[in-house]
Amino acid sequence: MQQKREVLVWDLPTRLFHWLMVLAFSIAWATHDNSRHLDIHTISGYTFLGLLIFRLIWGVVGSHYARFKAFSYSPKEVINYLRALLGSGVKHYVGHNPAGAWAVFLLITVGMLLALSGLIVLGGEEQQGVLAGKITFDQSAPFSLLHEVIAWGMVAVVAVHVTGVIVESVLHRENLIGAMFRGTKWVEGESAKVAPSRLMAAVITVSVMTWGAISFSSYYGTTDEKPYLPFKGPTLAMNELWQDECGACHLAFHPGLLPARSWQRLFNEQQDHFQEELMLDEATVVELLGYAQKNSAEQKKTEAAWKINRSVASEVSPIQITSTAYWKEKHSKIPDETWKREVVQSKANCGACHYDAEQGTFQDAAMRIPR
Amino acid sequence: MRNVFLITTTLAFGLLINLEAHAGAVDSLQLEYQSQGAGSFSATSGEQMWKRRYLHKKSGKQRSCQTCHGKELTRSGKHARTGKVIEPLAVSANSERLTDIKFMKKWFKRNCKWTIGRECSAQEKGDFLEYLKGL
Repeated sequence: MQQKREVLVWDLPTRLFHWLMVLAFSIAWATHDNSRHLDIHTISGYTFLGLLIFRLIWGVVGSHYARFKAFSYSPKEVINYLRALLGSGVKHYVGHNPAGAWAVFLLITVGMLLALSGLIVLGGEEQQGVLAGKITFDQSAPFSLLHEVIAWGMVAVVAVHVTGVIVESVLHRENLIGAMFRGTKWVEGESAKVAPSRLMAAVITVSVMTWGAISFSSYYGTTDEKPYLPFKGPTLAMNELWQDECGACHLAFHPGLLPARSWQRLFNEQQDHFQEELMLDEATVVELLGYAQKNSAEQKKTEAAWKINRSVASEVSPIQITSTAYWKEKHSKIPDETWKREVVQSKANCGACHYDAEQGTFQDAAMRIPR
Repeated sequence: MRNVFLITTTLAFGLLINLEAHAGAVDSLQLEYQSQGAGSFSATSGEQMWKRRYLHKKSGKQRSCQTCHGKELTRSGKHARTGKVIEPLAVSANSERLTDIKFMKKWFKRNCKWTIGRECSAQEKGDFLEYLKGL
C-alpha cells in the first residue's frame, strides 16, 4: 500500500470564494425580511454576484481541481458513484466526486438565478440599482416571489451539498470541511500539482474589503438627526396649499398613499374629517383634489403607492392609510408598546420613524424605530 | 457716526413696520367685528374664555384652547389628536402671528367649533384678539 501524503487540492482563491459565498449568502438571508436593512441585503447580493462571476472565470483559468473540466461528470457517473457509495467499492476522488461536482454546478446556477432575479426586483420594485428605471413596478412583480423561491431553492441545494460533505467525510474518514479551510487532503494515488495562487487571493481580499468599505463608509459619523439614507427616492410633486392645509394639523400625507377615489371621498366628507370640520372653500378643494388625483396611488410614483393601490379592493375607498392591507401587513411586526411611545404617539405620525415621510417617498432603508 | 445713525434708523423703521403689520391686521379685524355689533373688547374676558373648559359630549372629554395650544403661549403646543407641533401663539415668540386676516378667520372658525362646539361671536373673537395681542 502506498504511503499517504498531504497535498494541496483547493487553491487559496477557491477557498476564499467558498467562504465568502457562505458569508454573503448568510448576510443576505438574514437581512431579507427587514426593509430597513435593504442596503445591507443589496450590498451582500452584489458581493455574491461578483464572487460567482469570479468563480466562472476561475473555473476556466484556475488550478487543476478548481477547473470545471476537472469535475465535469456525466449523469451516469453520478449514479454509479451514488450506487457505489451504498456498497463498499467506492472510488476515492482527490477533487470533487461526481455527486459533489453536480451540487457545485447546481449551486452556481441557482446562485446566478438568485442574483439576477434580485437585480430585477431591485430595479423594478425599488427603482434602484443597475436596472432602475428600466423595469416597471408591475413588470418586476412576479420576480419578487421568484427571487424568494430561488433563495429557498438555494437553501435546499446547500442542504444537499452539506449533507453530501458530511456523509462522504464519515464514509471515507476524511475531514472535507477542514480541507476547505486548509486546502490540503491526504492522498494515496496520483494527484495534480496545485499552486496556491496567493496573488489572486490577495486581489479578492482587497477587492471585497474595498467594496465593503466604500459601500458602508457613508454610515460613518451619522447620527439620529442626520442619518445616512442609502436609497434616494424620486422627487415627487409638491403643492404648497396641500402642505399648508393638511400640514397644519398632521403630516401632509403624500397623495400617493391613497387611491384617487379615496381623496374624492375625503373631500366629500370634509365636514366630518376625523371628527373635525375642515371648512375648505370650493376653490381650495378644487386645487387640493386636482393635486391629489394627479399624484394618487394609481399613478404608482413610489413603491408604497404601487403596493397600497394593489392592496385596496376597487370597490372600497379607505380614507385612513393605516386601514389599507399593505400598510397593515408592513407594520404588523411593530409591537403596541412602540406606537404608544411619546415620540410616536399616533400611527398617523409617519415621520416618527420614516425620515422621508414629508417627501412621500418612503424608501426602504430611510427609517429607524426611535428608542 | 453716520453709519450708526443709519443702522439705528433702519432698525427702528423695520421694527415699526413689523409692529404696524400686527397692529394693522388685528385692528382692522377688530373693527370688522365691531361693525358686526361687538362693543369694546376686553383682554380679561378673552383670557377667561381662553382658559375655560368645555365638555365635548361625543367623547365625554373636556376641551379648551389650551388642549392644543398649551398653557404657555410663548411655547409651542401640540395637536390633541395627531401630536403635530403647533407654533407658539404669542407674538413675542412668533412674529408671524396675528398678521394674516384670512388665516385668523379660518382658524377662529375651525377652532371655536372644535373647542366650544359652535362658532364664536364677534364679541368673543374680538376679546380673544385683545388678549392675544398683549402677549
